[in-house]
Amino acid sequence: MDDDVERAARKVRDVEQAVSQHVARSGPVTGRASSPDGAVTVVATPGGPPRQIEVSASALRMGPHGLAAEIMRVAEKAQRNAASRLHQTLERVVDPRELTELGFVRERDEDEFGWRR
Amino acid sequence: MAAVNEDRMQAVEQLQRDLAVTTETVEHPNGLCMVTASAKGEIRALHLHPALLQQGPRAVGEIVTETVRLATNAAVQTSFNKMALALGDGMAIDVESIAGDSPFRSTWNPVAPPKSAAEAAPAERRPRAPIVEDPDEDAFFENPFGRR
Repeated sequence: MDDDVERAARKVRDVEQAVSQHVARSGPVTGRASSPDGAVTVVATPGGPPRQIEVSASALRMGPHGLAAEIMRVAEKAQRNAASRLHQTLERVVDPRELTELGFVRERDEDEFGWRR
Repeated sequence: MAAVNEDRMQAVEQLQRDLAVTTETVEHPNGLCMVTASAKGEIRALHLHPALLQQGPRAVGEIVTETVRLATNAAVQTSFNKMALALGDGMAIDVESIAGDSPFRSTWNPVAPPKSAAEAAPAERRPRAPIVEDPDEDAFFENPFGRR
């Protein structure tokens, strides 16, 4: 059992090293999404909580319920976008099937409200 | 050994199903925002107090971001606790050696000491009244506690 754990830990360290070298070149992987009218913008991390949530002054007019719903919608979209970008970034160093299995699904279509550089 | 591994595999599969649905609900310390989040940082429910909106758009963004982070950390910790319960502490420690410390452990053994949100109030100091050396007893009765 200890050998298995040690082997798993070593494999994780190897992948981690490959990933961190890759990310050091490409920068941290984040996703971004905005409401069509720019009311809410979310910068998300893959598999983690949002890094930044921006709310416009006019968004406050949506009221607490409407704004909460819009933040949830945009945050989900930003996280999907982050997962997709992580998949694209890492598919050269990690088996893409494993990435999909981990929940980092590559999006087919990135619409205009998806990630923009 | 094979049977033990089979048990563990089943425990792991059950655990994966449990963790996928593990969420935690956290209210921001200011009481103006409540978030239910999964261990992956997905927001499952979000409640904003009307008073939060009055603090302006920037405050809304920051408070929601912070509350989602707290709820995610709580969900990750709950996942670790479920794992320790299902697989035993030894296995949980093994997983931590691979995946990193649980939020609870990182919080209680922080690499850098946490900075208090509020500046610690200085201890109240009152200057001690100087001892008056006065041989004159009348002076004592005029000012029995040495006040000037």
